[in-house]
Amino acid sequence: MAAKTDPPAGPSSGGGRALFLLAPALIVIGVLFGGGLVAGAWQSLAPLLPGARLSLDAYRAILGDPGFPGALGFSLYIALTATMLSAVMATAVALLLRQTFPGRRLISFLVQVNLTIPHAVGAIGILYLLSQSGTLSRLAHGAGLLDRPAQFPELVYDRHAIGIILHYMWKEVPFITLILLSQMQTIGQDYAAAARSLGAGRWQCFRHVTLPLIAPALAAASAIVFAFCFGAYEVPLLLGPNSPAALPVLAYRVSVDADLATRPQAMAMAMVIAALSAALVLIALRAARRAMGRA
Amino acid sequence: MAPPPGLRAFWVISGICLALLMILPLVPLAVWSVADGWRFPAILPQVWSADAWRYTLSPASGVLASLWSTTLIALSATALSALIGIPAGRALGLHRFRGKAAVELVILAPLVVPAIAVALGLHAVFLRLGLTGTTIGVVLVHLIPALPYMTLVMAAVFANHDTAYEDQARSLGAGRLAIFRLVTLPAVLPGILAGAAFTFLVSWSQYALTLLIGSGKVVTLPLLLFSFASSGRNDIAGAIGVIYVLPGIILLALTLGRINGRNVALPRGGLT
Amino acid sequence: MSLVSRLALCAATLAATQGWADTPDGAALIGQDWEKIVEAARGGEVNFFLWGGSDTINRYVTEDLGGILLRDYGITLNRVGVTDTAEAVNLVLGETAAGVTDAGSVDLIWINGENFRTMRQGDLVWCGYTETLPNNALVNWNNPSIANDFGVPVDGCEVPWNRAQFAFAHDSATLAEPPRDMAALIDWIKANPGQFTYAAPPDFNGSVFVRHVFYHAAGGADALLGPFDQATFDAVAPKAWAILNDLEPYLWRKGETYPNTITQLNNLFANGEVALTFNYDASQSGAAVDAGQYPATVRSYGLTDGTIGNTNYTVIPANSPNKAAAMVLQNLTLSGDAQLRKADPAVWGAAPVIELDRLTPDLQSAFAALPAHPSVVQPAELGAAALPELQAEWISAIEKGWAENVGR
Repeated sequence: MAAKTDPPAGPSSGGGRALFLLAPALIVIGVLFGGGLVAGAWQSLAPLLPGARLSLDAYRAILGDPGFPGALGFSLYIALTATMLSAVMATAVALLLRQTFPGRRLISFLVQVNLTIPHAVGAIGILYLLSQSGTLSRLAHGAGLLDRPAQFPELVYDRHAIGIILHYMWKEVPFITLILLSQMQTIGQDYAAAARSLGAGRWQCFRHVTLPLIAPALAAASAIVFAFCFGAYEVPLLLGPNSPAALPVLAYRVSVDADLATRPQAMAMAMVIAALSAALVLIALRAARRAMGRA
Repeated sequence: MAPPPGLRAFWVISGICLALLMILPLVPLAVWSVADGWRFPAILPQVWSADAWRYTLSPASGVLASLWSTTLIALSATALSALIGIPAGRALGLHRFRGKAAVELVILAPLVVPAIAVALGLHAVFLRLGLTGTTIGVVLVHLIPALPYMTLVMAAVFANHDTAYEDQARSLGAGRLAIFRLVTLPAVLPGILAGAAFTFLVSWSQYALTLLIGSGKVVTLPLLLFSFASSGRNDIAGAIGVIYVLPGIILLALTLGRINGRNVALPRGGLT
Repeated sequence: MSLVSRLALCAATLAATQGWADTPDGAALIGQDWEKIVEAARGGEVNFFLWGGSDTINRYVTEDLGGILLRDYGITLNRVGVTDTAEAVNLVLGETAAGVTDAGSVDLIWINGENFRTMRQGDLVWCGYTETLPNNALVNWNNPSIANDFGVPVDGCEVPWNRAQFAFAHDSATLAEPPRDMAALIDWIKANPGQFTYAAPPDFNGSVFVRHVFYHAAGGADALLGPFDQATFDAVAPKAWAILNDLEPYLWRKGETYPNTITQLNNLFANGEVALTFNYDASQSGAAVDAGQYPATVRSYGLTDGTIGNTNYTVIPANSPNKAAAMVLQNLTLSGDAQLRKADPAVWGAAPVIELDRLTPDLQSAFAALPAHPSVVQPAELGAAALPELQAEWISAIEKGWAENVGR
């Protein structure tokens, strides 16, 4: 991405003018985003009650809390699974939409419409669709496949987070697809055409020409999707089980606890969410860059 | 090199499946909005009724007021993001300077760190400043995901922007403001509008941030949607859901012509 | 007039008129003439925080109470729905800790039990004003179950709103004879696997169900009444956890997960995934039938060994800036007309908390003439087997214990 925003050789004033243009944005992000993180970190080290000292007690407490490791593991599992499945499926969909066939434009439009649907609506829709007494279950009943709701597979409120992962895929596949499509459009047909003219089959062309070219965009999009799935609140709230709860849900629950002494624990969880997302995204991007260097 | 007919048929069928999948989750929601009783195992509602819509559109439900406040908040967040993000995007797109990578990291950071982590910490600060429970507080917190997004879109727009005309205008003696108004703005306007449309949707879709900072007093549409869904009123939730997705689709239709691979590099942020 | 003096005049006027509808100073209101209090509140607003999980309650508050407040007093009622009353308490707590003592965002909370205790302990409640409300005379403060909120003396800090009693509900079309006492319920669950579950504490309704199990394990309510006693708790709790853990394999989803909220449980019941549901507010069954959520064959019922009943209240936080308006709202909630309207099953169906014989003959006959909803068990019938609520500390201990011993 750095390459994309590097200016062409041409007029470029020095850092002074750039800083002037950037100042408001940096200040706003610094104050709101940076300030929020600093405030959260501070509150995780010092309880709101007067006379308390700075300490890592909150972090010790959440590590000892039986609910926390479960929540952390659950969130990681959801984010990793959803991201990987979405990345694979999005690549396939992007390839599909590059071909010409009747109805392609309509389908393209529908994929774009999906981007505008807020997560809350999608999650509620998936709930009505996939719950044991939801639309799919009723269709199965109508087809004579089951008698009672309990016979339908458990897709929501379950420990495998199937409903949650399906919802994330429903939203993220279009997102990654559109990023890949715009990348493919920028790259153009030339390389692929050259490879095909040299006798490469469709799969070979994809595996050795197209895929390496879209890999950086795919990695960047997947990293963002991962961070989002890891930190989202409303989707696991609607579709997830009571226990284990996803980490953001647990953090919110602890943060509205009337016992003020537990507030630092909520902040500690927030810090863990922030640190882990940033770290995992950076690791993923670095790994992708290294893989690119090898290809 | 035309594709073999079998492959073509495969594409068509995949396309149809994809289209159906995109629409599928929205169907029960829309049907619920016209249902009065819809219990297992009925595939279609046992009792149809327009009551949910009647109630939703009446002032008693608060939906229309909430539609207004959600729009207002999203417009404000978009306007502020544009005001701050356009110059920042220009700097990132057209200027070279030391520390640029670091600046890009800072701008990118709010999109990588989940907003809820930041908002939990920010809540206490806003509380002390009296910003919790206020529309202004909610607009400010929406800036966290919205501003970086707008900035990055504008950076991509400016990266593809040819400054030759601006240089000519300057050499002819035009002032800064005139150059911006008469030369730059018309050229980047499509990009600005596309970026603004996406930024609007980022704010439009926020739930957790509004819940945390709004303290339940700033009632945006997603909060109402959740509230009715969690009080068992699936019919009203369905109607609100339909109302909630319409502006996004309208915005998409309006900006469809203006978006292509070149002037919007990486849509991201709240649209993930 | 210079610009500066113009600005100063504006500022002064603003400051002077601000006092009209902004009344954070509680002490000045206690014992005041009711007319003066109404005038102080006129044109202002009141932020009422209450559990938002029932559409009928939301409508009653917004349309009925809100409508009368606006029409007769010029006060704007802002209803704020919360998923759990603890959220509102938490907001007041956080604001007070942050030093916001005059301009809090909460003016009135629908509350009882351990939430009230938390607020009392944190000195977050405004007290001592209830005698100033004209309609306070309609409340029988000699009734210990009204004068004490889950064992905590009300002490002029709360104004009662409803009486409520826990009831179960079943669909008479699919389950003609439901189990009518706790022992029968436990046997029934084991005989009908997958047909029952309960909302996970700390959901309000789930929590009170677990308390019924506690009473059953203790052999009756008497053993647990009174202040919290660790020894008694340690003796009874293992038996209760044993009962609940034994039941797990026979519950919905084999007890691997529990519905998060009472609404989820109601949804399961509505779609036939479970055969029974319950609610502290028996009128909710009627409301759900009217809204089309439940089939019309649903009937609510109590247990022969009794179900828990309580009184719930509204409370004004100490840092509320609209105390006069909150007082006007509380006085309205106590009025005979409002309690009558609330008791109408077509509106809400909540049992009145005022002494009916202190009302005018017209109102008394109106109460007597209220239609009974076929799906709602009558308060009189439920009240015949009423159990008292536990004191607040028991409830916290039970909720915590459940999370550790059963919920995992």
